[in-house]
Amino acid sequence: MSAVDLEALQADGLRAYAEAQTLDALDAAKNFYVGRRGALTSVQRSLGSLPENERRDLGARVNAARAALAQAESQRRHVLEEERDRVVLAAEAVDVTLPPRVPKLGSLHPVQETMEAMVDVFVGLGYRVATGPEVESDWFNFEALNYQPDHPARSLMDTIYVRAPGAEADQQGVTDLLLRTHTSPVQARTMLAQPPPVYIVAPGRVYRADIADATHLPAFHQIEGLAIDTDLTMADLRGTLVELVHALLGDVPMRFRPHHFPFTEPSAELDIWLDGRWVELLGCGMVHPNVLRACGYDPEEVQGFAFGIGPERLAMRRHGISDMRLFVESDLRFLSAFPA
Amino acid sequence: MRVPLSWLREFVDPGLEPGALADLLTVGGLAVESVDCPTGGTRGVVVAEVIDVARIEGTDKLHLVHVSDGTAEHEIVCGASNYGPGDRVPAALPGAVLQGNVQIGRKKFRSGLVSNGMLASPRELGVGDDHAGIWVLDPDAPVGDDLTQWLGLDDVVLELEVTPDRGYGLSMLGVARDVAALTGAELRVPHPVAPTGDPGVPVTIEDADRCRRFDGRTIRGVRVGPSPAWLQRRLAAAGMRPLSNIVDATNHAMLEIGNPIHAYDLALLAGPSIVVRVARLGETLRTLDGVDRALDPDDLLICDADGPIALAGVMGGEHTEINDHTDAVFLEVANFSSRTVLRTARRHQLLTEGSKRWEKTVPPESAPLAATRCVELILATAGGRLVGGRDTYPNPPERPVIRLRMGRTRSTLGVDVGDDRQRELLERIDCEVTGEPSELRVVPPAWRPDLQIEVDLYEEIARLHGYDRIPETVPSSGQVGGRDPGGEATRAVRRSLAAAGWSEALTLPFAPEDDVEALLLPQDDPRRSQISLVNPLSKEESVLRTTLLPGLLRAVRRNVNRQVPDVSLFEVGRAFLPPTDEEPGAPGGPGGVALPAEPLLLAFAACGNFEPPRHDRPGRMADVYDLLGGVTVICRALGIVPPGVTAANDPPYHPGRAARLHRDGQILGVVGELHPRVVATLGLPERTLAGELRLGPLVAGGRRAATAAQPSPLPGVRFDVAVIVETTVPAADVERAVRAGAGENLSACRLFDVFSGSQVGEGNKSLAYALALDDPARQLNDADVTAAIERIEQAVVEQVSGRLRR
Repeated sequence: MSAVDLEALQADGLRAYAEAQTLDALDAAKNFYVGRRGALTSVQRSLGSLPENERRDLGARVNAARAALAQAESQRRHVLEEERDRVVLAAEAVDVTLPPRVPKLGSLHPVQETMEAMVDVFVGLGYRVATGPEVESDWFNFEALNYQPDHPARSLMDTIYVRAPGAEADQQGVTDLLLRTHTSPVQARTMLAQPPPVYIVAPGRVYRADIADATHLPAFHQIEGLAIDTDLTMADLRGTLVELVHALLGDVPMRFRPHHFPFTEPSAELDIWLDGRWVELLGCGMVHPNVLRACGYDPEEVQGFAFGIGPERLAMRRHGISDMRLFVESDLRFLSAFPA
Repeated sequence: MRVPLSWLREFVDPGLEPGALADLLTVGGLAVESVDCPTGGTRGVVVAEVIDVARIEGTDKLHLVHVSDGTAEHEIVCGASNYGPGDRVPAALPGAVLQGNVQIGRKKFRSGLVSNGMLASPRELGVGDDHAGIWVLDPDAPVGDDLTQWLGLDDVVLELEVTPDRGYGLSMLGVARDVAALTGAELRVPHPVAPTGDPGVPVTIEDADRCRRFDGRTIRGVRVGPSPAWLQRRLAAAGMRPLSNIVDATNHAMLEIGNPIHAYDLALLAGPSIVVRVARLGETLRTLDGVDRALDPDDLLICDADGPIALAGVMGGEHTEINDHTDAVFLEVANFSSRTVLRTARRHQLLTEGSKRWEKTVPPESAPLAATRCVELILATAGGRLVGGRDTYPNPPERPVIRLRMGRTRSTLGVDVGDDRQRELLERIDCEVTGEPSELRVVPPAWRPDLQIEVDLYEEIARLHGYDRIPETVPSSGQVGGRDPGGEATRAVRRSLAAAGWSEALTLPFAPEDDVEALLLPQDDPRRSQISLVNPLSKEESVLRTTLLPGLLRAVRRNVNRQVPDVSLFEVGRAFLPPTDEEPGAPGGPGGVALPAEPLLLAFAACGNFEPPRHDRPGRMADVYDLLGGVTVICRALGIVPPGVTAANDPPYHPGRAARLHRDGQILGVVGELHPRVVATLGLPERTLAGELRLGPLVAGGRRAATAAQPSPLPGVRFDVAVIVETTVPAADVERAVRAGAGENLSACRLFDVFSGSQVGEGNKSLAYALALDDPARQLNDADVTAAIERIEQAVVEQVSGRLRR
């Protein structure tokens, strides 16, 4: 075979590769030129019959042609494979803007979670959580907390009383059993159960004889705090509450002002500045010596503070809720806003 | 308590803007709830006289007006023309402020004219709706005077929230005392005049504990009629309805001094004397409101010779009330104890302005002053003459002497208030202070009966010094904080359920008495032992719940009614049951009363789809396995083994589609489909599910730490077995047999197919399990599989009378 023929063969092969439009066509072309019975292969086979000098020369040129064809084939194959993938994968495309597949998610009640958030703050400050019953005795709810016998809060207008065997009612229907009106009885229960120092918070449900409206529920929640030690001051009380407000509501202006509760003296309320006005957030004060005495503590030896906070009100502020009744309606359109 | 500032200023003038005064009182202990301002903040508007009015050429309706405020002339451009020279008009000159905080200045018009302020309509001044023209005032309006002051419209009213300890906050004088104490402004205290002359009606006090003082005064020759306008306006501003000059005078004195007063028509009193005593059995009194009231032997009464003429401190009787023909008035200016008035007021449901004050304690010392003020006003507005009176005051109480350790003030408040400062602050509220440098003896003034013990003085010092000056420090508790184990575990339960698709509800724990009827409970079911309320808010809320189910099912119905068909709710809460030996209530305290048991329950309710349909997958209705899945999820969160499950036949559930949950030999609860009759009675969607279990035993130990087995590093074997058993054999029994047979190397056992059909024989079913065996000590092979299958077959034969499907 002449050099010219070999060059022509190589050029034909290169052209055939370039013109192959499918991988099958490329395979066929490859087979035609360099396959077992391919044109170049038969040239190679004929080398053996040539004289030594010609054989070396032609062999070298055949190898060069084979290498050129192999490179061209590889390049063309790459192009055709890319093209094939593009078509196939395009056909496999999905619409990624369809709704994502989310595992079914429930929700957590905003009041419970607000209470948990408040408890977290106090746990961080070294308080332990205590609990008490929701049906209370008059003694724990009022007597131990320095309420006078005829205090208005003890009336049927304010407090829901409970009928039970063994609980005798007076002329008005007042018994020794009631739905606790605050979580403060847990103060007395804790102090009677353990010696000072005491640092506790008591979250739980409380009750008042209020008809449900946008800002009242007959059953709502409270978190009681009690700290008794040898040297606690009203400054400690104020600082503790400021920590709580900062943790839950951020840097809002606050106002600390006098108030009155039978079980604290001095007493105070803490207001926060929201939507252009002061809003009462919680009541607090230094534990009254009569309460300490009723619980077996010596007010000359120990002193401390107590506070009570309503998580409903705080939850309303946190989540922009304007009607308290939503909390007890269990409407899933409302509840599902509060993620698990 | 409504405090018109014009009235307050008769006693003290702190020279503060209303807003600043309100803030001062609030942080001082008399919380101001609102500041009512009738003119919406208008100020600086003066009465001006119109000199001339001229139409401005080239404008539609503008006029150039010259007015005089008595000292200078002002040129004002005005659109209206309903006035003329000589008229008196309101002029808002530059610097004035109209309602809505509109600042008035010089205004330049396009024509180059300048208006020095404006003339105003009633609406612009916030005193009416009239905006048709400029307000032409009364011809005798004083030129140059402040208009709102002249009209009496500058009177701002503060609405106070008065706490039970601060009874003095229910009188103008009391509020004035606090203003003086908080600002140092001078206080003008009126002085009482003791009764002289004819002592008049004799008074006998039978119960000196309940009636501590009785200052009675007699006025003859009055003419009953309406009060003068200023008095009517003032009472209305303070929130009381004007009635007649005599009654208005008693109310004025009460609002001013704080001591309620009652006026009787002397001619209608059955002589010769008054007795203050408790009611006798069967006595009645028709009160001023026309109601005949049966009196209780605990009611304190004012009586004449014929019987009761007033419920002491609460309301007078109709028969002896002041009327148009009254000529002689007998004034009762008494002092009643807070407890007696409070009890009577509540018993008869009569909360009056008077009873409100008695409840917060009125000091006996205020009676003569209130009497003096009332007499003055009656003489001024109704004429007549004071005949005389007598002041019956058998046992003036001793004022407390309080020891004050000033170091303790500081160590209680955490504020460095010096000894001198403490003394000075107490003297500001008229305390008599004596004693050593560090330990004082303090006698509080009569008007502060709330100051009884040392800690009361700490609060006084703190508030007068300023609560805002108390520093903010955070104490160290010296202990690690934390939840109680049960609380920690309950939180884990709630969060795990929410993460598994359940939504948390909180329902009210009240229920109607027949709430459990629909649940088809047996007669002896403990949930029928409901605890009832003495004073429920409604019949629908007359008992405490013994189960969470009815409340949660009401929530399901509410959602379905609101077009939310797919519901999956849970609630964690307490139920209330009579205490038993097994489940006692908390200790009741010294009274020994037994408190109910309050078991902590977890309830579920679901209907509709548990998984809603999607474009790529049909929906799936909730079923009992979703409830059991919830139980499994919480057990995993708690780190405990899920309770055992058996078929349940317990109301209110479907007898074939409910599961009992067992743990430690006790039934924790039941979950399942509701009985179709319950579903129908409660109006719930078909196949509604519910469940309730006692959470207490599950959370009592807190969350358990997880323990992990060492995974085998060597290859194990995986294979399937299919077990054929009778249809009635519970799957749990089959699995137990398979597990037992597989032996200790079993690392996974998953049921992947349940099948019944002719291939497995009539009355049979096939359960297919995918199993995995691992042995950390050696590599397992086919021989191990063969051996395991043989053991499983033997266990299946022995334990559930089944066979393997080969």
